[in-house]
Amino acid sequence: MKTNNNILTDEMSKKLPFEVPENYFNEFAHQMDKQIGYNKTIFQKIIRPWMYVAAIFVGIVIMGQLFYTVNQNITARNAQNYESYVLSQVDENSVADLYVDESTK
Amino acid sequence: MNSTEEELVYQLNQPNLRANAFSVIVRTYQERIYWHIRKMILSHEDANDVLQNTFMKAWNGLDGFRGDSQVSTWLYRIATNETLTWLTNKRMRSQNSIDDVEESLLQNLQADTYFNGNEIQLKLQKAILTLPEKQRLVFNMKYFDDITYDEMEAILGTSVGALKASYHYAVKKIEKYLSEVE
Repeated sequence: MKTNNNILTDEMSKKLPFEVPENYFNEFAHQMDKQIGYNKTIFQKIIRPWMYVAAIFVGIVIMGQLFYTVNQNITARNAQNYESYVLSQVDENSVADLYVDESTK
Repeated sequence: MNSTEEELVYQLNQPNLRANAFSVIVRTYQERIYWHIRKMILSHEDANDVLQNTFMKAWNGLDGFRGDSQVSTWLYRIATNETLTWLTNKRMRSQNSIDDVEESLLQNLQADTYFNGNEIQLKLQKAILTLPEKQRLVFNMKYFDDITYDEMEAILGTSVGALKASYHYAVKKIEKYLSEVE
């Protein structure tokens, strides 16, 4: 029978009588990563630069589209104005005379 | 300090590599540091809190770590300070006598789901709890982890001679306690 005097020399006593929850150390390491912002660093290092590139690209497309639309409107308006201007310069009687002259020739 | 550790220390001083290197350090040393704390605090929940504080202190104090000592020594030192601070706070909160805190630790241990010791192991834990904190620290480090006195000197800042004496007296006290409760 084991006496209390030889407990210290017993190898069994050198084993710690404690346990930890299952997967504790893995979860702890992940938790620490979050607390020190390690995931944020990965985001900053890899994802964020690509998000900047994508944002710039989208910005260029939107600006291009806007510029194209505005330009189209101006061209159409200019054409309309020119047609009105030409028509305003024409005398209807002289046009009618022109048609009559050509038909009698 | 080996080459892997030198590389880690170098990375810790580079702002863009720091978080990655620290993540490796947590994964490498968390178990050793946890058991160092747990042996003193006994309850898993409390040990978990102190472990978190330890690594957060280490993270926030990275600028002060120049690699003069080993990473493990540096972490053990922080963990030891955090553990002793936790015990002091517990003592202050309870506002009772010193024995009451040890009694409370023992009760928490017996109620802890994560304690799986047999009768002999429980008896030994009770005996260890009769030691003063610093002596308990020395006993745990030597008896359970067989940490060298030189390493303990670097961690605790106590001379090898004093550590040997402390361990010797701790063993004597534990043997005396065990013979009395038999």
